[in-house]
Amino acid sequence: MDWLEQELKAALAREDPPADFAGRVMRRAERPVVYQWPRWLAAAAAVVVLAGAGMGYRQYRGEMAKEQVMQAFKIASVKVNRIQTHVLEVAR
Amino acid sequence: MIELQEARETALDFAELVKEHQSMVFSVCWHFLHSRDQAEDVAQEVFLGLHRNLASIQSAAHAGHWLRKVAVQRAIDAGRRRFRRPQVALADVAEPVAPAVERDPMLGETLRRLIATLPEAPRMVMILRYQEDLDPAEIGQVMDMPVATVKSHLQRSLALLREKLARRGLREDKWTG
Repeated sequence: MDWLEQELKAALAREDPPADFAGRVMRRAERPVVYQWPRWLAAAAAVVVLAGAGMGYRQYRGEMAKEQVMQAFKIASVKVNRIQTHVLEVAR
Repeated sequence: MIELQEARETALDFAELVKEHQSMVFSVCWHFLHSRDQAEDVAQEVFLGLHRNLASIQSAAHAGHWLRKVAVQRAIDAGRRRFRRPQVALADVAEPVAPAVERDPMLGETLRRLIATLPEAPRMVMILRYQEDLDPAEIGQVMDMPVATVKSHLQRSLALLREKLARRGLREDKWTG
């Protein structure tokens, strides 16, 4: 082992953790375990909810557009009927 | 009643394992991350992981190997999450445990700083080689890395450190007399 390796061993010697490290670990270990969802699962759930909400909104907008078109057809139909009636009266 | 007694014995064993291996786990994390706070957080998580998996640990030696491997993985993960090159604050550089005989106190700090600039794999290889005194085969087992790669990291890192020390005007004859 040359001089640099000896100096590296000295520089990277093990050191004790801060005071009461073991006590803090023991206290955390004794706490009741609270199940936490993995982050990726929460993110995946959020993506699914957002995608579902987006699809629902698109469907809602589609239904609204369909209703408007049907309403327009009804109005147009009534007007065409009136005009037809008027034309027939004039023709007599 | 028996369960309570077993739980107490397990808790005692766990406490012993924490006391026995705390400096190894903490030092791996600290030398890799160069933040005492972050190193303590990661070291605590490593021990809590051991506590959760205590049933699968067969012996004290097994626990030591398990802790070293998990400490290496967790430290590397924490370094990646930090998402920046390690910065060494002067206050973070620990005092030597015992006064080094005939050693330049600045050299140790310089070496730790230089090691902190290495990429993650060679940095951890250097820590396991010089902190834990593992040979390349053992390092390969801990890091799931071929022995040839470990040797390559060691050689390159040593050459790089020599070059950087020389560039800073720190040569062997300056402190070996």
